[in-house]
Amino acid sequence: MKMTKVLQQLTKSQGKVPKVAVAVLLVLFGIGFFAVGFDQGQIFSLVQGHQAYGQMYLHEMTHDMRHASGFPCH
Amino acid sequence: MKSLHFLTVVLIAGLLAGLIHGFANIVLVEPFLDTAIGIENQRMFTSGEAKDTPEFWKTYSDYRLWQKQGSIIGGAMLGVATGSLFGLVFAYSRHVLPSQSEIKKALLLAAIMWTSIFFIPFLKYPANPPTVGDPSTIALRTTLYVVFLALSGFGALGFSILYKKMQRKRSLAFLGYAVFVGIAFIVMPPYPDKITISMDLVNGFRMASLITMTIYWIANAIILGLLWKKFQPNSVTTRI
Repeated sequence: MKMTKVLQQLTKSQGKVPKVAVAVLLVLFGIGFFAVGFDQGQIFSLVQGHQAYGQMYLHEMTHDMRHASGFPCH
Repeated sequence: MKSLHFLTVVLIAGLLAGLIHGFANIVLVEPFLDTAIGIENQRMFTSGEAKDTPEFWKTYSDYRLWQKQGSIIGGAMLGVATGSLFGLVFAYSRHVLPSQSEIKKALLLAAIMWTSIFFIPFLKYPANPPTVGDPSTIALRTTLYVVFLALSGFGALGFSILYKKMQRKRSLAFLGYAVFVGIAFIVMPPYPDKITISMDLVNGFRMASLITMTIYWIANAIILGLLWKKFQPNSVTTRI
């Protein structure tokens, strides 16, 4: 007797959001929002030291987007 | 929900919407920024801080070109950041958002988030072009902006949780948020800086900012909705 194996697929919607994804997205949100909206040299100072506060590379680079998005500047 | 699928969908949607925002700013906002920075330059010439020479304009031109390129990069960064928050809230709330269409759900959520974390703070502390802000008040202005943004954003979150828990008279949650944010609007002090340049320039800049931020939120919602519909990161297929 020939056995027939029937495979069925069950697709269901799972609403639970993985914790690792939540953590990644919250970190990206925090860093990106701070970098574009508020950084005055703090991020690059982690590598450059105090020189970063004078240079404010990120601030100057994202300057136009900062103004355009409504963040306070200057 | 698969982490990698979910993250990919959310981050691509944020990145693409951010790039659209950046290019929209190049077209709509940059002319106002150039005019405002031109006023700053004239003030520097008048005060003797800089000299009106060909060398100045060459350096200035190169610098502005770099800043405009940076505006696109900044758009991508802000798009990924805001898109991350948007995607996260969408994942948690899509099952309670009305409509069968992922795009319509995303657009509705975008409208709620645009209102609470952009438009209401914008009404209280509107975007300003360069020359308006006094550098000595940046810490105060940043504090005011962040506090009001947090009040409006967390207020919306709190009242939305209340909305879900309420069995009857759910419209009271909207009213509660309106009263809460209205009180914050009245209690919070205005920006301390006096505007000394043409209000036509300031209002034109604000309108352009409002338009491009709105473009960003619509773009993020449509792209996220499309990608969610196509890849369904919340679906798990099992063989039985």
